[in-house]
Amino acid sequence: MSSVLKLVAKQVRSHPALIPLFIFIGGGVTMSVTYLCRLALKNPDVSWDRKNNPEPWNKLEHNQQYKLFTVNMDYSKLKKDRPDF
Amino acid sequence: MAHPSQLGFQDAASPLMEELLHFHDHALMIVFLISAFVLYIIVAMITSKLTDKLILDSQEIEVIWTVLPAMGSSQIAILSLRILYLMDEINDPHLTIKAMGHQWYWSYEYTDYQDLGFDSYMVPTQDLTPGQFRLLEADHRMVIPVESPIRVLISAEDVLHSWAVPSLGVKVDAIPGRLNQTTFIVNRPGILYGQCSEICGANHSFMPIVIEAVPLPHFENWTSLMMAEYT
Repeated sequence: MSSVLKLVAKQVRSHPALIPLFIFIGGGVTMSVTYLCRLALKNPDVSWDRKNNPEPWNKLEHNQQYKLFTVNMDYSKLKKDRPDF
Repeated sequence: MAHPSQLGFQDAASPLMEELLHFHDHALMIVFLISAFVLYIIVAMITSKLTDKLILDSQEIEVIWTVLPAMGSSQIAILSLRILYLMDEINDPHLTIKAMGHQWYWSYEYTDYQDLGFDSYMVPTQDLTPGQFRLLEADHRMVIPVESPIRVLISAEDVLHSWAVPSLGVKVDAIPGRLNQTTFIVNRPGILYGQCSEICGANHSFMPIVIEAVPLPHFENWTSLMMAEYT
């Protein structure tokens, strides 16, 4: 692993134009992988533990925000208009 | 509705469609800039008498043509994500209407008003009155109040259809057995046209959607009249 890094470092020293490439591609890959992990771990449609948490989509509160960011909508202000079960 | 030889979008009738228009203009401008620049470079390269057979690489230009496209793409991406999330927001609708697709007509149910429901067939070409639009008019329009958030629940009774109104920026598939939801606000009174957007058989091109946006008192009058007739 460190031999790969040493090789890459040597190439970067002779071709510094690779640095912005690493930054942008690395950033893109990081964002994609992070979002995939967020989907796997936090998406209420995903159930990992069928015994203890079989239907996490039923546990969403009416004013709970799952989306990453909102432009115009304030979830904390939503009223509850659905029946309890 | 679209006018003959129209190239761009129809005029926006909802705030969301305005945002979509602005985003489209922004993204198209970036695309035009890039295309103009590339065209210039091509012409300059072809018409240049200068040659250098010994150029192998250049670090500076590589940095430039990595960073500049990344900045351009991120400009488009950030705005695109913003409008994508904006489109999903639901802001407390005042009215809920169900639009059901059939072969080959739409039916609208206003169950907030005691079971009000009616079918909306296309007006056949031979029955059009002067001033009406061919293949776009319907016998019963979906009337809604202006400047109120409306929720439309869309489904189908037989095959796939799609409920589309371009001037609102709305296109939602009507899938049998599934309920799809969309919300919108109409900015101004007027008549908005759309057509079925999923192939559904022989008369797929002949099942238009017509929305009539009216001020609230007019809407209340209309619902009273319709309830007397259709409930």
